[in-house]
Order: sequence, then C-alpha cells, then structure tokens
Amino acid sequence: MASTVSTPPTGTPASGEAVDPALERAAERAAARRGALLALPGFVYLGLFFAVPLAIVFVYSFATRSSTGRTILGEWSLRSYGRLFDPLVGGIAWRSLWIAALATAICLLVGYPFAYFIATRSPRVRGLLLVGVMIPFWSNFLVRTYAWRLLLGSDGPLSQLTDLAGLGPSRLLFTPTAVLIGLVYGFLPFMVLPLYAAIERMDFGLVEAARDLYASGWKAFRHVTWPLSRPGVVAGSILVFIPSLGAYVTPEILGGSRTTMLGSFIVRQFLSARDWPFGSSLSFVVMAVMLLATMVYFRVGGKTL
Amino acid sequence: MTTTPSPASTATKASEALAVSTAAVELAEVVKRFEDVTAVERLDLRVPDGEFFSLLGPSGCGKTTTLRMIAGLEIPTEGSVRIFGEEMGLRPPNRRPVNTVFQSYALFPHMTVEQNIAFGLQMRRTAADETRRRVAEVIELVRLGGMERRKPQQLSGGQQQRVALGRALVNQPKVLLLDEPLGALDLKLRQAMQLELKELQERVGVTFVYVTHDQEEALTMSDRIGVMDAGRLLQVGTPEEIYEHPRTRMVADFIGQTNFLAAVAQGQGEARLADGRTVNVPPGSTSGVAITLALRPEKLSVVPAGEPSPSGANQLVGVVERRVYLGSSLTYEVALEGVTLRVRQENTPSVAQCREGDRVGIRWDPASTTVLEE
Ligand SMILES: Nc1ncnc2c1ncn2[C@@H]1O[C@H](COP(=O)(O)OP(=O)(O)O)[C@@H](O)[C@H]1O
Ligand SMILES: [Mg+2]
Repeated sequence: MASTVSTPPTGTPASGEAVDPALERAAERAAARRGALLALPGFVYLGLFFAVPLAIVFVYSFATRSSTGRTILGEWSLRSYGRLFDPLVGGIAWRSLWIAALATAICLLVGYPFAYFIATRSPRVRGLLLVGVMIPFWSNFLVRTYAWRLLLGSDGPLSQLTDLAGLGPSRLLFTPTAVLIGLVYGFLPFMVLPLYAAIERMDFGLVEAARDLYASGWKAFRHVTWPLSRPGVVAGSILVFIPSLGAYVTPEILGGSRTTMLGSFIVRQFLSARDWPFGSSLSFVVMAVMLLATMVYFRVGGKTL
Repeated sequence: MTTTPSPASTATKASEALAVSTAAVELAEVVKRFEDVTAVERLDLRVPDGEFFSLLGPSGCGKTTTLRMIAGLEIPTEGSVRIFGEEMGLRPPNRRPVNTVFQSYALFPHMTVEQNIAFGLQMRRTAADETRRRVAEVIELVRLGGMERRKPQQLSGGQQQRVALGRALVNQPKVLLLDEPLGALDLKLRQAMQLELKELQERVGVTFVYVTHDQEEALTMSDRIGVMDAGRLLQVGTPEEIYEHPRTRMVADFIGQTNFLAAVAQGQGEARLADGRTVNVPPGSTSGVAITLALRPEKLSVVPAGEPSPSGANQLVGVVERRVYLGSSLTYEVALEGVTLRVRQENTPSVAQCREGDRVGIRWDPASTTVLEE
C-alpha cells in the first residue's frame, strides 16, 4: 500500500515498532520451542552415546578388581585412583604430553605458513589447495599409518637413502620420532583448516595500514596478522593436541612397545591387563585434565581478541 | 658532460632544484597497470608543501591507485614518485614520510583507541613518555577524550573516522594521504567534518592529498583540485578555476551542472547554433571550427518571452517543460529547438516565477560562456 511507504515524518519514531509486549514474548517463546525441537536429535544422540557411557566409566572407576580380573561392582574404593601415582603411569603420561606438545608445535610451525599461503591465493587456487589438504581423509587412517611403517622401516626407502648417503641405515621405526612423524602427518589438516579460516577472514587492509604506520613486514605480522589469526591458532592447537595426547593407532603401529602412550596404556588395562577400574580412572582423569587445559587455553587465547 | 656550465645555467639549475625540493609530492609520468587494466596513465602532478590538494573523479578513475603509489602500497609500472625531492623508487611504505587515512579506516580491531593511535610511534620506538604525551595531545585534537579504552567496534562512524585521522596525525607526517575519508558518513556529519578537516589542516600545516568523488566536498575544502577521469589527470586548478573555466567537457560535466550547446565559431566573438541562430561568445576561436558552449544553469535567467534583450546579451526563446522546486532555488528545464536548457533561479521575491508550458526567454551574459574546442 502506498500509505505505508509515505509515512509522514511527524509521527513518533518508535510508532512503527509498538507491538503488544505480551504478544512479543509469546512469539519469542514459540521461536525458542522450535529451536529446541530442531536440536533434539543432537541432544538424544550425545546423551545416549556420550553422557551415558561417560557415567558408566565414572562408576567403574570406583569398582574393584578381583584376583581373576573380574570387575566387582558394589565394593567401592579409591584404589584405582591411588594407582595413578605409580611412576610407570607418570612416565607414560609425561612421554604422551611432550610428544603431543611437540606434534602440536610442529603442526603449527608447518601449518601456519601453509595456511597463510592458501589464504592469499586466488579463489580458484585456494579451492584446489584446500581439496589437496583434505584428500588424505579419503583413505583409511590405519592404512596410511601402515604406509609410514614401510617408509620408516629398516629396509624402507628412507633407510636406503641414508645408507646410500653414507650415514648408515636409519632406525626410525619404533622410536618417539616415528610416532611424532605419524602424528604430525595425521593431524596437520586439523591445524591447517582452522588457521586457513582465520587468516582468510582477516582484512589484509589492516596489514597495509600497519606498513603505512612504519611497521616492517615482520612487525606487521607480529602485531596485526598473528593476533588476528589467534582464534585459528587456538582452535588448531586444540584439535591437534587432544587427539595426539590420546592417540592409540599411531603409537601402536609406529611406536612399538618402547613408546607406549596414554591411549595404548588405557586400552591395555581393558584388554590384556583386565583391570577395568584402573582403565576407567585413567580415562576419566585424562579427560578432566584435557578439559581443564582446553578451558585455560581458550581463556588465554581469547583474552586478547 | 665535459664542458663547465656557465654561471647563468648553474643559477637556473639551483633555482630549479629549489623549486623541486619545495614540492611535497611530485609524480612524473606515472603509469600503473594491473594485468589487463591501466589504472593510471602518464600522470604528472606537483603538490606544494602545505597545500590542501584534492584528487577528484568518478569511481574507478584511478584516485586510490594514485594515492597508494604515493604511500608505497603500490609501485608504479613506469615513472617516478618524489616526496620532498627524494626519489621513492621501491621504498616500502614504512620508510616513507607519509601516512594514510584509509577509505574504510582500517582500524586495528584488537586494539583500543589509544593503542591504535600509539601504533605508529611504537613502531618507530618513540620513548614511552613521549608516546603518552603525543597520543594524549592527538586525542584532544581529534576530540576523542573519554574514548581511549574503547575498541573500534564500540565507536560510531564519525568517531572511527577521527581515530583513523588521529592515528595518522600523531606521527606528524610531512604529507597526509586521505582516501575518501568522509565517504561513509551521513550528510550532516560529513559537512561538519569537511570544515573541521580543513580547519585542522590549516592549523597543523600538513600537506593533504585528499581523494574524493564528491565535487562539492572538493570545492569546499581544497586549495587546488586535480580532476581525474579514466586514469588521466584532466585539469588542475583552484576550485574557482576548475568551476569557472573547465577546459574539457568532462570537467565541466563532472563539476556542477552544465548545459552544452553545439555551435560553429563565426569569428568576431560570434557562434552559430545548430538551429541557425547566432549568439555572442568570448572571442578567440577560429572561424568555422566546431565548438561546444558550456553554460552553467545559474548563469542563465528566465525572462518573459516578449521582453527585448539588452544590447550584447544573448537571448533565446523556448517553452518551460519542467519546473522543479528546490526550496532556496527553482530549476526550469526549457525546451529550445533541438536542446533542453536547465536554468536555476534564486527563490526570491524579486525574481518572477513561471509555470510549465509558459513561453519564455532565456538570457545570459556572453562572458559567462565557456567555449570548449574538442
Ligand atoms: N589490485 C588491483 N588489481 C587489478 N585492478 C585494479 C587493482 N586496483 C585497482 N584496479 C583497477 O584500477 C582502476 C582504478 O581503481 P581505483 O584506483 O581504485 O579507482 P578509484 O579510487 O578512483 O575509484 C579500476 O578499474 C580498478 O578496477
Ligand atoms: Mg577509491
């Protein structure tokens, strides 16, 4: 209608928005109900397959183990938590921690320039490179890790190469270095993708502004690009660190028995050692520590944004 | 050269050198090409120290590119950029004595107002107490007191604009480059900021190279204007020169409104229009040459059709096709044979008004005609 277009300028400015407040609240409630309904499948799924098993693990961690390896529910104790202070556990935890931290650092060091490179290409090249980053996901992780076993093995191509160069055969397989290589290989895309998203979103006019304000290329990076891409750094680091800390497949295949990490150790409690309460308490504590670390990291990383 | 120069030629060299060194910015035969587009085409420009110089032109004509070449954010494909006589060559932006106020401000979103303004000083390792003092001074200058701790997102457009200005001015650059700094503001604020900027420039005495596509803004603020189109600088002059004596049709058309009449020069200060009538024009054109007469609407007046014209004045007869009421003035579109002329009349009691359909005379002083030969 023409009359709605030519509203006379004399009316009160808010007159167009004057809606009955009760009606407005009712509409808001209806919208909230619709939102909850749509989220319901997600809630059900997470509840059944995440919250319930977690509760079971929590309950089992207070159970006791019979001499034959049966789990006795009903005889509650804190014994399995006491075993966490065993030096053996400490050693494995420490090894897992530094390997995961190092894998994260290497992923960041390798992934940042790569993500930056992708983000600054033309849209077409960008798409191709991103597909390239994701291609490894299309084949099985286990198969890819076994491939590394062949590459790093004592008669593998790498070893032959070092032998030819006069350095003697390399003995990388079943060392922490092999695990590190495997982790970086496996989790690099999880670092690159969030970094790419953060850098791509950044306004490069800000870098020009910094250059115009006497910042050298390096200083412009340090004071503008880096802080503005920090959400990507935080997200990528968490996405690499947490699965590295709990990694099972990679250390199992590339680390051998000498490089046991937390993931393998926990699995061993459930399978060969048949100590479910200990496995449960270990799982639970590792999870709690990771959660806490993640929260602290987000706080620190997010503070300056 | 092997011959010793004569004293006279040394003297001219010295004075030339002096003249060169007083130019704050000098572009010589600058060309900038991006893959397939030529953004700037053989541009020559000298901006003296302390001047408020505007680059005016339609969107896409190469203004931003020109500014970026002065700042060092683009390197010219050909030609040279000098700042206070010094050849800039490939010198990066951080080593040029200029600062830029960017079109979209480009404020650092992760820094407060204070940190944004202090950025340039910190990059140059200015002592902490001096930085504090100068930042405080500039915050005062751009009237941002009380906003020091805010982030850019928490500011209005006008305040963000002033942060951008302060962030550049705090460095006391020799030349300040501004790329449509008021483009994102609404009309009232823009007009207020125009005066404020001009006043500030006079007070601080910094050379301004100001890019705008708004002709009124350029006329209001500038000491001199350079009109650009399609990568070329068409005319440089004071606002009055540009407005009163445009040298090309494009300049006349872009700055203000203009009526164009095709004609043929007759010699002795006369020209014949397409319909065969003869009008008086400022002398100077060779007889027989095709010319265009540019007439500003406000230089024309509408008179009753029968009224005799005073000697020397031009008068043509036509019919009022449209009357547009603009408050302080009225615009009439009057149809003559073949063309429509736009006439602007002050809305004062002493000027008679007419209605659409009236037969009227259009009268003007030949001296206010601009003759364009193209
Ligand atoms: N980085 C670039 N790459 C390709 N073309 C560009 C680039 N920058 C500007 N141009 C082109 O150069 C011309 C002038 O642009 P610009 O200087 O931004 O004009 P203005 O600031 O007057 O609107 C335009 O045709 C624009 O498309
Ligand atoms: Mg522009």
